[in-house]
Amino acid sequence: MSDPISEILLFQVGAHVFAAPVRDVVRIGTVRDSAAEELVLDTALGTPFSRQRCIVVASPGSERTLVVDQVVGFRTVGENDVQPLPAFAAACIHSGALAGLVVLDDIPTPFIDLPTLLREHAARRVTPQ
Amino acid sequence: MWDPKAGFGQRMDVGPRGQEAWFFCLRILGGRYAFEAALVTEVVRLGPLTRLPAAPPFLTGVFTHRGEVLPVLDVSQLVGQGSIPVRPSTRAAIVHCGPWKVAVVSEAVEGLITVPRRALEAPPAESSGVAEFLSGVAQDRLGAVAILDMPRLVEAARARAVPAGGAAA
Repeated sequence: MSDPISEILLFQVGAHVFAAPVRDVVRIGTVRDSAAEELVLDTALGTPFSRQRCIVVASPGSERTLVVDQVVGFRTVGENDVQPLPAFAAACIHSGALAGLVVLDDIPTPFIDLPTLLREHAARRVTPQ
Repeated sequence: MWDPKAGFGQRMDVGPRGQEAWFFCLRILGGRYAFEAALVTEVVRLGPLTRLPAAPPFLTGVFTHRGEVLPVLDVSQLVGQGSIPVRPSTRAAIVHCGPWKVAVVSEAVEGLITVPRRALEAPPAESSGVAEFLSGVAQDRLGAVAILDMPRLVEAARARAVPAGGAAA
């Protein structure tokens, strides 16, 4: 058994479940607790259906709020549970937000770098592609 | 798109007469497509796929196989001919192309086929769709089969995923 190395947060956007390090999360709240201009809805993870829950993430100089459908829970994962992307996938995906995969019950779950996800989202809004 | 039922053109110069070439044949795009058999390590039934955020459409997702996470490549998506629906019965061929290891999803797996080298012909001059990745065409007892240059196809997929200008998406 591998030593636990970190706590992760599992959350859902649309039909898909993602994982992120708990250390990146400032707090979990509801959409009505945040100002509308702070909310981040449509990221590379997709667009949430329900828009009720949110994850507040520390960003340099401010906090950003990612709207999600559901916070699934917390898990402690071991070193062997976190894997890099397969080489071909890493060569095809040009987003730093996808930091790897957490294999939970034999299912690979995208491991998200939340600050990078929100930074890339902000950059796309400044320079739409 | 090249039609596997259509006639063939000029004969390929692929080696001595009388020898047979081994290919691995999949059904994709409604036709028979084969590639160098040595590239295939095994055929698997696809488990549940995990979609990856920011992935190009041809990278359908990833799945675990014997503890290893493998990416799934959909050739139909790559050449703009729709997509292969992934069901519990869907099979994929695990292919090694240089540094890349991918599971090529198929409509059905035919398996190993042999084609007399003298029966291999040059692909059509067409350069769009899947024809761009053909290295030859042939006819065996089951009918027409198109020979894919799988390493070139996989490398082209990777190259197409690079955003214009090479900047991060």
